[in-house]
Amino acid sequence: MGSILIVTETSDGKIREASHELASVAQRLAGPLGCTVQSLVMGSGAAPLAESFAKKGGGQVHLAEGEAFAHYNVDAVNAAVRAAVAVSQAELILFSNTPSGWDVAPRVAAGLDAGFVSDCFKLDVEGGKVVFHRRVFNGKLDATLRASSPVVVATVQPGASAAFAGTTEGSVTPLPVPLTGIRARFVEVKAAATRGVDLSKAEIIVSGGRGVGAPDKFPEVIEPLAQALGGAMGASRPVVDAGWLPHAYQVGSSGQTVQPKLYIACGISGAIQHLVGMKTSNYIIAINKDPDAPIFEVADLGVVADLFEIVPALTKAVRAAKGG
Amino acid sequence: MKIMVCLKQVPHQDARLDIDPGGTWIREGSIKFEINSYDTYALEEALQAKDGGGADVFAVSIGPDRCTQTLRTALGMGADRAIHVKDPEAEGSDALGIARILAAIAKQESPDLIFMGLMSDDANFAAVPPMLAELAGVPHTTAAVKIQRQERSLLVDREIEGGAHEVVELPLPCLVAVQTGINQVRYASLKGIMAAKKKPLEVKTVADLGLTGRVGAGAATVRIEKIAPPPKGDRAQILQGSTDQVVTGLLGKIKELGLL
Repeated sequence: MGSILIVTETSDGKIREASHELASVAQRLAGPLGCTVQSLVMGSGAAPLAESFAKKGGGQVHLAEGEAFAHYNVDAVNAAVRAAVAVSQAELILFSNTPSGWDVAPRVAAGLDAGFVSDCFKLDVEGGKVVFHRRVFNGKLDATLRASSPVVVATVQPGASAAFAGTTEGSVTPLPVPLTGIRARFVEVKAAATRGVDLSKAEIIVSGGRGVGAPDKFPEVIEPLAQALGGAMGASRPVVDAGWLPHAYQVGSSGQTVQPKLYIACGISGAIQHLVGMKTSNYIIAINKDPDAPIFEVADLGVVADLFEIVPALTKAVRAAKGG
Repeated sequence: MKIMVCLKQVPHQDARLDIDPGGTWIREGSIKFEINSYDTYALEEALQAKDGGGADVFAVSIGPDRCTQTLRTALGMGADRAIHVKDPEAEGSDALGIARILAAIAKQESPDLIFMGLMSDDANFAAVPPMLAELAGVPHTTAAVKIQRQERSLLVDREIEGGAHEVVELPLPCLVAVQTGINQVRYASLKGIMAAKKKPLEVKTVADLGLTGRVGAGAATVRIEKIAPPPKGDRAQILQGSTDQVVTGLLGKIKELGLL
């Protein structure tokens, strides 16, 4: 019987939440696919984590233990996954679409001649085969994919599934991993630079995206609204990439995650990398010319219009209301 | 130092996305194309290495006639030569098929460095770079935000959660998939564009690369079955009306939230 192999990640001495989400996906698919659930846990001093994961939907857990797995290393993880695949008859190999997952999973797929589908927000079984659901064109369209290879590798979007809840029977087996051919070398982790702009405390954030069009429009159009409301200014990634604003203003998966009472997104299309940074805001207003912009899926209130018409007028109205 | 840069031509970021009659991709007929934004940063990284002295940069693209424009732009920006894999047999390749084509070129060229973008603006798979590294037998990293060249290795900062950076050292030859914003991408100068016309642009076929039957739709194991706009479902309440009406509505909501 083939298996679904979950490749877990650890962080701060714990199995990551995203790995528990993989467990719930695997447990749900196992029956319809006629597969067992097996897992790979890697780390230094990771035996307790493996034991615990076995009881939380991990099934038969293969433990790759040692200093070589103390920090993420693409070659070490690749070797461990290949070793786990060999002993588990894996037909479906699941990674989380995290910086480590997207780094190593396609490499594993190529080495196995396996089909590969990334950043799936949903996996279903139809006719005994997996159907993968993901977005394309930076979140604008939904795509449904199938893979016909005997082994398939997929990465799953963190946060798209619930973490596995409940207790299961499982086991832990040590996994010998040949570690010749490690070429990449972990050097260090540099924490994110201390910010000049702390958006985590702002009650109101007015953010601008690529739609703002030019750097001078930020102090001219976006900042005045933020100031009038007594809030802070933020930006999406393309704005920072273009050098219009420093990284300190970036909201998103590789910037700050914010939860203000009010988030106003101006000219931001709503790629997933931005949404993960602000979608838990208490109330979201989106202003964008494009009615199909993905930002409208998380917004509470939307305005399909030119932000250069709306924002200055709103700023004026806010000032008037405040008696300024 | 020989640097290979892989460039994908993709629909323009603001292109209208109409679903094609087959329902498996968008209509490409009347839209504009551009170089995948992530790949432009990869090209700039290679050109900066070239500016620093002693690097030869060649650009590779796979696709129909329109990809010539991508390669001409790369040459205009400063790449020394270009390779266009232009062959209907390559059409419909999945990521592994694309990686096989690029790996065959890497095998012929033996570059010291392979630079490409983390993912494409259209498919967003982020699959080809690590696959290419595996097939080419070189170490790799992804989401690079800083690359420092050392004697025979690279020191690369890669982006991890929350804006933190993980530093990894890779011996040469290696492959790096870059993140957007790693640098500021240059424009091709007029002088550069004129000089580009004389630079070599080689066209290769699938057969030239010994890959007959190993790429293209026939060899692909991953297929898009359907693409469609996301279900409207639980979307925002849209405020309609004139600017004044909209602003009144927004102000009202902000007051209601107790934030005015």
